Amino acid sequence: MLGWGVERLRADMNRLLALLFHQGVLDEQFLQLQQLQDESSPNFVSEVVSIYFRESEKLLRNLRELLMDKEFSDYKKMGMHVNHFMGSSSSIGAKRVRSVCVAFRAASEQNNRAGCLRALEVLEHEYCYLKNKLHELFQIEQQRVMASGVRYPIQN
Amino acid sequence: MATVHKLQVSSLSTTASSYGSSKADGAVSDQFPVGMRVLVVDDDTTCLRILEQMLRKCMYLVTTCCQATVALNLLRERKGYFDVVISDVHMPDMDGFKLLELVGLEMDLPVIMMSADGRTSAVMRGIKHGACDYLIKPVRLEELKNIWQHVVRKKWSGSKEPEQSGSMEENDRHKQGGDDAEYASSANEGTDGSWKVQKKRKDTKDEEDDGELENDDPSAAKKPRVVWSVELHQQFVSAVNQLGIDKAVPKRILELMNVPGLTRENVASHLQKFRLYLKRLSGVAQQQAGVPTPFYGSVDSNPKLGSLGRLDIQALAASGQIPPQTLAALHAEVLGRPTGTLVLPSMDKPVLFQTSLQSAKSIPSERQVAFGQPIVKCQSNISKHFPQSHLSVEDFPSGFGSWPSNNLSTVSSLGSLGNLNTQNGNMLMQIFQQQQQQQSVVSETSHGINVQPSCLVVPSQSPANFQAVNTSVSLNQNNTFSSTPVIDYGLLPSQSNSVSVGLSQVPDVDFKNSDVLNGYSIPVSLSPSVSSFSATQADNSTSWQVQNSAINFSTASKLPGLVPNMCEFQGSYSPRAGDLSNQGRSRNLGFVGKGTSIPSRFAVDDFESSLDELSYLKTSGDNNGDRVKQESNLDFTENARVGIPVLQHYSPNDLMSVLSK
Repeated sequence: MLGWGVERLRADMNRLLALLFHQGVLDEQFLQLQQLQDESSPNFVSEVVSIYFRESEKLLRNLRELLMDKEFSDYKKMGMHVNHFMGSSSSIGAKRVRSVCVAFRAASEQNNRAGCLRALEVLEHEYCYLKNKLHELFQIEQQRVMASGVRYPIQN
Repeated sequence: MATVHKLQVSSLSTTASSYGSSKADGAVSDQFPVGMRVLVVDDDTTCLRILEQMLRKCMYLVTTCCQATVALNLLRERKGYFDVVISDVHMPDMDGFKLLELVGLEMDLPVIMMSADGRTSAVMRGIKHGACDYLIKPVRLEELKNIWQHVVRKKWSGSKEPEQSGSMEENDRHKQGGDDAEYASSANEGTDGSWKVQKKRKDTKDEEDDGELENDDPSAAKKPRVVWSVELHQQFVSAVNQLGIDKAVPKRILELMNVPGLTRENVASHLQKFRLYLKRLSGVAQQQAGVPTPFYGSVDSNPKLGSLGRLDIQALAASGQIPPQTLAALHAEVLGRPTGTLVLPSMDKPVLFQTSLQSAKSIPSERQVAFGQPIVKCQSNISKHFPQSHLSVEDFPSGFGSWPSNNLSTVSSLGSLGNLNTQNGNMLMQIFQQQQQQQSVVSETSHGINVQPSCLVVPSQSPANFQAVNTSVSLNQNNTFSSTPVIDYGLLPSQSNSVSVGLSQVPDVDFKNSDVLNGYSIPVSLSPSVSSFSATQADNSTSWQVQNSAINFSTASKLPGLVPNMCEFQGSYSPRAGDLSNQGRSRNLGFVGKGTSIPSRFAVDDFESSLDELSYLKTSGDNNGDRVKQESNLDFTENARVGIPVLQHYSPNDLMSVLSK
């Protein structure tokens, strides 16, 4: 019974991952992250992702503050924030977030404030979707680990 | 999470602290690039954490830091600790380029920039500021696995040239890593000899050819180093653009830049680096493994000897191990040689030969002696040897084993000289003479040997490698003396104390030819080694080979005509061998400084008499002679074996690195 539950949870995880890949939310960089997880850092993926969430929320907040400011004109600073966001997103394999960042950066380089605002909204949306899905993934993972009573690295 | 906390709290976490101790040990260096110390700077903690994990997977020692200013302080406090720096481009407290500039000015470390911004303009900016590489996020594990090449390259080039062979890696490491005192010392010794050679070569280059940009590095050894600030570099770039990259020669660039105090050598060296950068950018980047070759290859384009000299010099300079004095001596020798000597038509052989080719170019002589190879070998050898300091003669078994003394004698194919090692122990001089077909084989052996000395070469130690060498030799068609000499150099420098020179002669091959070649090459490599050896070599037997080689070199360099002499000598191999050995010893010492022409004799004798010599060697109490003879028969296989042992002795890392390359 226990073994069956573990298998089911594993299947759920894989299904979710497949969906996220199919949607283009994640790319192979996320798989590389999973491969980096080993005995020396058994929670590597969730650790990195939680760092990413924390950083990203800070960045999104900053971006929104910048754009909400009526006096706003510091596109360079915004570009750096976007670049930062793009770097961390691509590093965890958040493909769709990254593509939105590219568009965002293009808009900010053209000093296109409206374009920036649109991009920011899409970005926030994509980020939320990613966050929810990854949370879901980690929850299943956690259940799986508890069910199996043994922690072993994700097999990919 | 622990790591994360560290980062947050101190912004600086050294995950690999435990590794540090191991690094100090020689073992680490041996396994290069395992244990390479990497500093990662990025304000993006997500990336930082991922990079840290990736680098640890690569077996590097990772230190992470999320502030550029902290990183800079760390670098200043622990100068010589880090081998390479990976830095993000955009950081709030300090621009990554600023950090890059400061690091370049203060510690001359290879700096790899990274950014999510992969647009050409951004990458170009990184290059202009002197980044040795530019990684685009997301950084992949495969890319990080390869970053050790920058460390090696940097060391090879010293501050000067980026083109280095794998062998340089170890040297570089030694230089950079103050930690490896052991290695450093050994490396320094070895390098000293090599440095000298390089310097000499540089001198020659300078004298001979302005066209050769690649070898300019020597300037470092000669003169105070020029700091290529961003402004200076941009002046340089605009001058190059004005001239066109293909037509830009240091002299013209210098004129256009019109900067007081800047020398043609500075510009040439920088131009070479710049070209390499461009190549790398274009994806043509030369592989590290092939580094020696590629570099040489590039050199090859320049027929001048100077190029060879420069290469060596550069490498030496890079290693920083070569003493000025030695350089001077080497220059004298090198210059002489190049002029007369070697022309390596066969340089085709890519890597090793390339160097030789350069020399060959410079050497008008048609003999086709490939000095470049020797040079290359020397460099590589030096670097490898130094770190490892001791070559294991054991592999060479019989002969070496008997040579209980430290010396390793590798007699490759014919290996008459191989036994000489006894005294030198450390230094292995392997002189291979190849004659056309047979020669080709022989040359291969010699190449292989050369490889062995140098860490990089080591991979070639395997039979396959040898073959490759042979091929190159065959290319040379003409005898490839250079190859052997090179080997000698490398060994000598590294082992200054114990030099084992293995001269492998192809039995079938015409000794005369081979001798001649040997003579040529020898002079090049030998002189450096000799100089170093003379002091170190207490033992006569070992010194013999070395000395002989040295002698040859000197003669060769000075006397192009020596070659003929060599041929003559060939006739009287065995007797001469004995004589030579004796003479060689005495002469060698003398030669080092003087560069007498004795060599001619010795070269021929050694090779031809290899067997005889071996016997002689035996007389000296070593079994080497027997073994040597055997080896000669075996030619390739033996050589390969020899090389392998050597490799083994060297640290595994070295071999690994070579192989990987």
